[in-house]
Amino acid sequence: MDTTTNDLNMNLFDRVLDKLCLTPIGLAGLILLLLLPFIPPFNQEYMLRWLIYCGFVAAMSVGFDFTAGYINIVNFGYMAVAGTGGYTSALLVINAGLSPWIAMLAGGVSSAVLGLIIGMISLRLRGIFAACLSWFFGLAVMGLATKMVWLTRGPMGLRTPRLFETESNFPFYFLIIILVYLIYLICKWVVRSKMGLAFQAIAQNMDAARTSGINPVFYRVFNFTMSCAIAGVLGGFYAHFYGILTPDMMHTSKTVEILAVAYIGGRGSLWGGAVVAFPFIFLMEIVRSTLSHLPGLNLVIYALVLILVMIYYPGGFSYFYDTHIRQPKNRALRYFLNGREAKA
Amino acid sequence: MIVLETQNLTKKFGGLTAVNAVSMTINQGDIVGLIGPNGAGKTTLINAISGLNPPTSGTVEMFGKETTGLTPEKMCRLGLSRTFQIPSPFPKMTAMESVMTATIFGNPAGKITDPVAHSREMLEFVEFPMNETVVAEQLNTVQLKRLDLARALASSPKLLFMDELASGLSEGELKDIMRIIDKISKKGISILMIEHIMQLIMAVCNRLLCIQFGTKIAEGPTQEVANDPKVTKAYLGE
Repeated sequence: MDTTTNDLNMNLFDRVLDKLCLTPIGLAGLILLLLLPFIPPFNQEYMLRWLIYCGFVAAMSVGFDFTAGYINIVNFGYMAVAGTGGYTSALLVINAGLSPWIAMLAGGVSSAVLGLIIGMISLRLRGIFAACLSWFFGLAVMGLATKMVWLTRGPMGLRTPRLFETESNFPFYFLIIILVYLIYLICKWVVRSKMGLAFQAIAQNMDAARTSGINPVFYRVFNFTMSCAIAGVLGGFYAHFYGILTPDMMHTSKTVEILAVAYIGGRGSLWGGAVVAFPFIFLMEIVRSTLSHLPGLNLVIYALVLILVMIYYPGGFSYFYDTHIRQPKNRALRYFLNGREAKA
Repeated sequence: MIVLETQNLTKKFGGLTAVNAVSMTINQGDIVGLIGPNGAGKTTLINAISGLNPPTSGTVEMFGKETTGLTPEKMCRLGLSRTFQIPSPFPKMTAMESVMTATIFGNPAGKITDPVAHSREMLEFVEFPMNETVVAEQLNTVQLKRLDLARALASSPKLLFMDELASGLSEGELKDIMRIIDKISKKGISILMIEHIMQLIMAVCNRLLCIQFGTKIAEGPTQEVANDPKVTKAYLGE
């Protein structure tokens, strides 16, 4: 019934989709996100601000999962690393007159350097010890940002120019969606290459990985540096979106927010956190704004959801999706959820 | 040709001397059995040689080149591979991915043109009884040992350490493993195996090395060492 050309087109479409690391449903989701700001009630500015924050958390959780899900090191100082990027970017714009766009990338570089240092020091540490080390680094950086008032203005906050010179939040929303997707794509490409195999091998059995010829120093430091660079660029976005930076953004509770989203989304999936972030953080923002007389309630909800997920679904949303939703009987639906499946 | 030679290899953990001045040689084509009572320092000795736990003093030479204290990944590139006493390749990976890991990272770049085919060949070589898409954490010990062996062979070693490969195997499985060891040896790979099952040792090893309290007490042809009164005493007491 279908013609050869049609078939070829299909194949090309599938191939492009595969290169872009998307399934048809993923593409649909991405398009939905891009259309969202035109659909009421999401077209209101304050809703858009929430959605941008959702996007920020989504992108951060992808970068976080790149380390936590693949080399099994939980970077408890992740927001502090992002904050380093944010402050670097803001200070470069204010003091050196750099364009915020270039400064954002410079923020990524500075965070990468910080990541390189933490990565090198934590090399000999495993699991919880590496997590603690990154946490302490985060606290130290936050302390510096608070105390170096002459440079960062400390808790008074540093005013930063925004990326787009409009009052509207529309361009920021599209930028963060593009960033979420780009970060996902880059991480996925790396993980799909032979590096991904090395990351998993190191995380799952260090001794077997080393005797199989994998140099753990290189791969661990590379992974750590890359995820920190991602955080740095996002920190720059944060700085030039909100227009004000306080050391508060580096707080551990912010990292926990990212950790919660990444874990609820599913460790080692990359996409799980990005998908979960939008509904979850959005709901949290609603809770926070409607129940403003109960501050901190959202943190309690994070904890509860995280505990429930850890007990009943340690694999998170992505695991739930893979085991219960992904393999329906209907062929068309199956294609929609998986794309053309690669033949073994 | 001498594949591996150690001189006065010593490993201390604080005040405890786990391996004490062990000197030994492995020749091309040897299947050397490393025997000794529990806690004698057998695993520590091969850890010291393979670099997982570098020696305190003494030297290791592979193919006439000094390799003392080199990292395991460097030793792997030089042609040393090993299996583990508690076989745990990569728990969340499939059998294929586990072997692929060693195929890709254990061989010099460009040497293996088709890693998938090479990995599949290794799984067939060790007669891996399951589908290659099975996830490692679902395997039982016998299957895991086969998988670990396939992983160790995938990096094209010239010398292979096997740490209690046969422990816990049934009579029939023992016969299978003997056949596989024979196949490995025929590929030109020299073997050092830690083993407790005398039946297996007597059948496949051409030389034995016995250590007790970290010190070498006997080395030589299998029959000779097995009948050595010192060795019998170490195992059975006075």
